[in-house]
Amino acid sequence: MSQASTQNINPTFAGNGDLDLGYNPVGARNTDSAVPLHPKESVKHDYNTAGPAAGKLAFRWTYGSNVAAKNRDPRVQVVQYNEDTFVLRQNVCVHWEAPFTYLLFGNKGALLIDSGATANAQHYPLRDTVDKIIARWGQARERSKVPLTVALTSGEDVAQNQGLVQFAGRPDTTIVPTPFDVMKQYYGFRKSWPSRRSAIDLGDRVIEVIPTPGTHKDGVTFYDPYCQILFTGDFLYPGKINISNDRDYIVSLKTLKAFATDRSPKWILGGHVEMMFVPGKYYPRFANHKPYERILQMEPALIDEALQYAREVQGKDMMLIRPDFALFNGVSPDQRTQVWPEGVPKINPPHPF
Amino acid sequence: MDRRTFLSYNAAVAAIPVVGSALTTFGETATAATRPEPIDFTSNLPASGGFPDRWICGSPSCMDNTDPPVHVHWYNAHTAILRQNKAYSFEAPFAPLYFGNDRVLLLDEGFTQLRNDWDLRGIVDECIEDWCARNGRDPDRLELLVAFSHLHADHYAAVNQFADRPNTRYMGLTHEEMVGFWGMTNFPEERVTLDLGGRDILIWGSPGHVVSEFAYYDSYTQILYTGDMFYRGRCYITYWEPWYDSMKRLIDFVDTHPVTHVMGCHVEISKDDEDYPYGLTYQPNEAPVQMTVQQLREAFAYAQTITEPGIYFTGTVFLCNQTRSTTTIDTNPYRYA
Repeated sequence: MSQASTQNINPTFAGNGDLDLGYNPVGARNTDSAVPLHPKESVKHDYNTAGPAAGKLAFRWTYGSNVAAKNRDPRVQVVQYNEDTFVLRQNVCVHWEAPFTYLLFGNKGALLIDSGATANAQHYPLRDTVDKIIARWGQARERSKVPLTVALTSGEDVAQNQGLVQFAGRPDTTIVPTPFDVMKQYYGFRKSWPSRRSAIDLGDRVIEVIPTPGTHKDGVTFYDPYCQILFTGDFLYPGKINISNDRDYIVSLKTLKAFATDRSPKWILGGHVEMMFVPGKYYPRFANHKPYERILQMEPALIDEALQYAREVQGKDMMLIRPDFALFNGVSPDQRTQVWPEGVPKINPPHPF
Repeated sequence: MDRRTFLSYNAAVAAIPVVGSALTTFGETATAATRPEPIDFTSNLPASGGFPDRWICGSPSCMDNTDPPVHVHWYNAHTAILRQNKAYSFEAPFAPLYFGNDRVLLLDEGFTQLRNDWDLRGIVDECIEDWCARNGRDPDRLELLVAFSHLHADHYAAVNQFADRPNTRYMGLTHEEMVGFWGMTNFPEERVTLDLGGRDILIWGSPGHVVSEFAYYDSYTQILYTGDMFYRGRCYITYWEPWYDSMKRLIDFVDTHPVTHVMGCHVEISKDDEDYPYGLTYQPNEAPVQMTVQQLREAFAYAQTITEPGIYFTGTVFLCNQTRSTTTIDTNPYRYA
């Protein structure tokens, strides 16, 4: 087999796959491709599952490089969780916040949760990447039109709303408005914020919208009942959580806890990773090289822990370190502390430089 | 006879067949013939020179940065100032390179270790070759001194790049070696003079940011280089009293010596006195690195009023008095009531 043909033998979506390639290599026959040979109508996927839909985050996230200017990793890393769920990460050397962006598909459309920290499409081609994923997904499902909704976990968060401009004027696209009042109106919250929930129907996959102010006054959490994943953005993630209003934060955590007790989510996926793989250690802000990051996914039990320790920092200007996150209340985002949590091993991670 | 003289001596024998003289004379004649007039570093002081209007200062996306890893600016014909690109390290330190008739002084280095990350050694060599070409010198004859203002990695990490460089001496990485490098016996009060060959550099101790820190004064450009102890940004003061004494020493010095510019190792503040937080890799509106003597005096006057740990703004710099391990200037922008 020649070198050229070996590169083309994987006909399926692969994490980190080259989105410029078609589903099947040119001239391929008798493959086990997801694309029907003689399609009659578009594929209707059954999103009813017993328990969470299977999926995995099997790739290591790109983590920047020591010399940021010389980084040549993909600008947007695409990892496929399952056929209808994609996780995109911005390159750490394009923006240190390296936010995660999620793309979910249903029978009637797609939802993009968050939009990254960089507006410049040359630096961060989010729209282009999303277009390609949608085109290929549409190909597999025999859909020429896949309406897209773009929603943010927080409209005011500059680490998540910058990529929005790339979607301006995109056909078949709804952008959830970012101003707080207009956003509430869009979801139909009006006076019921933050006590009621709303939903975005993707077609047999109804994404629930849970108001979770606390780190941002307009913060929302999305819940996908198909994969049973909570998308919490800045509200709860393995990193330095800057509490912007501690009362709201605790109320929202209680809401989330009640919700989690009811639905037992499989994972919580946040908007960033800042913790290291050793407990309680994190990368500083603006770091372009994070080789020892903690994994993205968090267990739902972390909601309880966050609630417990949010109560401890309530009303105080202080920071508090936990193994999987750190809480900052009323202090500088670069605050430091000498207090180390009891019972947590203090391990010095390797230093890359 | 050292290796260099030996080589030129052979060349002289081949090139000028003079009969009847001792061979050593050939060597000396040849050497004298190739050595140009020494440059005068002592008249018409201060030597004129200028800073760039804008240093390279990073970019919104680091991986799209196309600037060179280090900005080499010739302050004047005999003085270069290097500044690291923020996309290669957020520390982006400055590093002056002072040329004299006999030796060159590299003060501080960029924050880099490996030559294949970016090649500081190659760039310094290039500067030296440039200068030698312009002034008719042999770069191999010029001794390079690699020294640094203080014992922090963003100032010394590149020292290994010079380990195998011929005709080079570099500072050791302990307090004793640093003080010994300048032959000081009474740190920090003692002021020593380094002769680069007609160009004097005055050096004395300037602790406060760390214990092992020096101030350097170039008698030719009359630039006072204050390292991380006083620079346009957040002066992290670890030890208040030694720092205050060092400031007093600087003030005593500017009272008795002409100083054109006071220059630190970093810039972390914008032209509008806005703090660029620690670690930032893009500073599009950054303040100039050079400060005036007046600004130094104002900072000292302000420091005289400080009695508590905390962060103070003098109008030029932030004095972070013992706050390095506790807090910083910036706040969470999303706080709401």
